[in-house]
Amino acid sequence: MTTATILRPLSFAFAPLSAWAFGVRIWVAVVVGLAASFWLELEAPASAAVTVAILAVPTRGGALDKARFRLVATIIGVTAAIVIVALFSQTRDLMLAVFAGWVGLCVFAAGLLDGNHAYAAVLSGYTVALIAIQQLDAPEHVFESGMARGAAIAVGVAAIAVVNDLLAAPDSFPLLASRLAALHQRVRDYARPAHRDTDVATAAELLRDIAALRPEIASLATESASGSIRSAAARSTAVALVAAVHAARALKAVVAATDPAQDGMIVATVPSPASAWASRESLRRISEVREGLAALNAGHRPHWVWRMPLYRSRAIAAAAGLRAAAYLVLASGFFVLVGWPSAEVSLSLVALTIGLGAVSPNPQGFTVAAFIAAPIAAFLAGTLEFLILDGVTEFPLLALALAPFVIGAIVAATRPHPMVASLGRLNLIFILVILSPSNPQSYNANSFLFTVLFLCTGVGLLLAAQTIIPPESNGRRQHWIMGSVRRDFELVLSKHDRRLAPEEAMFRDATRIGQIPASGASHRDNAVLTQALAYFDRAAAIRLGRESVARLAETSLSRLAADAQEALAAEDTRRLREVDLALKNAASAGSALAEEISGEFTLAAIVIDAARHAAPPAMETVS
Amino acid sequence: MHSFSELIVGDVLVAPFISYAVAALAVFLALRPILHLCGFDKLFSNPGLAELSLYVTILGLLTVAV
Repeated sequence: MTTATILRPLSFAFAPLSAWAFGVRIWVAVVVGLAASFWLELEAPASAAVTVAILAVPTRGGALDKARFRLVATIIGVTAAIVIVALFSQTRDLMLAVFAGWVGLCVFAAGLLDGNHAYAAVLSGYTVALIAIQQLDAPEHVFESGMARGAAIAVGVAAIAVVNDLLAAPDSFPLLASRLAALHQRVRDYARPAHRDTDVATAAELLRDIAALRPEIASLATESASGSIRSAAARSTAVALVAAVHAARALKAVVAATDPAQDGMIVATVPSPASAWASRESLRRISEVREGLAALNAGHRPHWVWRMPLYRSRAIAAAAGLRAAAYLVLASGFFVLVGWPSAEVSLSLVALTIGLGAVSPNPQGFTVAAFIAAPIAAFLAGTLEFLILDGVTEFPLLALALAPFVIGAIVAATRPHPMVASLGRLNLIFILVILSPSNPQSYNANSFLFTVLFLCTGVGLLLAAQTIIPPESNGRRQHWIMGSVRRDFELVLSKHDRRLAPEEAMFRDATRIGQIPASGASHRDNAVLTQALAYFDRAAAIRLGRESVARLAETSLSRLAADAQEALAAEDTRRLREVDLALKNAASAGSALAEEISGEFTLAAIVIDAARHAAPPAMETVS
Repeated sequence: MHSFSELIVGDVLVAPFISYAVAALAVFLALRPILHLCGFDKLFSNPGLAELSLYVTILGLLTVAV
């Protein structure tokens, strides 16, 4: 008998030590960023501290990658701000309308991207707010303001990069490798026995979890000298995992078709040649995953390199972009009508919240979290400025006083509860925005109250605007995504999707399934997921079948290749089985390739039939 | 005596240090594939710090030599 000991991570005050270490790193980076900004006498030293807060990512590679995009997006945003101000500085209303359009365009672009690319898109949008809109009454200072912000951001980026290196922030790849290994185990479990009832939800969840790693895998490239190699290995592993899920589903379909009594209970001794072939395919895919993981851990280039194409719905992105523009128009209209002085600060905070919300899974939920976080941050920043610091001018005291607020917010941000994590992250940013450390600190209660008022008003206005024009419903988003599933499937049948390898196309389909807003709990969600997975299986079977056809076309059996091609284009499984029989005859004459391709065609026919059976045409009205 | 000249973009003067920092970054990124081939990551217990040190060395050399 063997016993296993599970080592629990060391913890202190209900949080793991790694979270405290992360908090200390960010605090040191904030202090270093502020010290450098004060020493260089930058005009906007608070921007350096806020940059560190925004780049607060637990791993070194993640922070570096985000920093890279932050720098690029700031350059784009500053350029856009200068152009907008140059063209429209004489017409305030038109300038606000163009600004709303620019933010809408950036949110649309963010909707077509993911990870740090999407963050860069929204940052390009709200940088215009922070530079052009805050200088609405003094357009001649836009260039200086942009330079000041750019310099502070560069200092913040350098501070967090140096501190992460000096304090040995953990690398991304071991964590990523452990996540991929856990998914590998889940896929292997999925390929084993499963209940048909939970099959759809399990498969959809697996594909969603694999696709969700895409931004993290992409950011691996900047981490170290071997980052791009490890990123390629992780990409190949993730794509192989999706292919393994398809292979497991094919195996289940074969078992269900050849021996319904064994449905949900795949045993080692499979009876039919089709089952044997499907088992071999499943094992081959699993071993591809294993090879990818080994390459990732060793830092070697994998034997094959796949891309990770991303699916994004243009309709959903356009709807989000239009809404973002509408929210800004509503907020601008409100401020123009009430005629408050310095309302541009509030408007720029509306733009910032819209931007950051656009890259979160639930924009309205993000605004609610910001609405709760704003008064908490105001209270904490007020305590820090007027009770703890209360007029001190020594930098070491500022550094010490910041420690509990920064470290506490970071520890809260690492908590598993999503609301606590959001509040922690938002509080870290808001506290630094409200405190706005400068040299010397003004300790102006009037300015503090105005900033708090602008922050709360801005977030409150956005919440009101989102209540008047709510985000797109889940039903509508499901409808758009399923529409694209059907359109893309038509392209597969008409052979117009040849840009990607079959495995890469499977990954793209997996990212689409991952974006379907469905938990699988309701009957409707389950029906939508069933239909999406059925199309996933059919498209994958046809693409893999076409690959076999291409190999067959190069042999003396090319006449059968033409037949198989037509059968696949029409999803004519009967004809495909006839080709399969002809190939089996050729195989009995000693052709190993014919035997192999015959197995692949059998599998394709069974998978297509099973997928059609799982989501009959009548089901297509669901979405 | 080594003199430093500003980079002029349009009518905007860019501090010499920024030019050196960007040039050092370009050299460092170009060196990365070679570092991987040399197994640079495996030579140090904290490869990140070693890479930072290398970047600072390149920056220092550029500042002194160019």
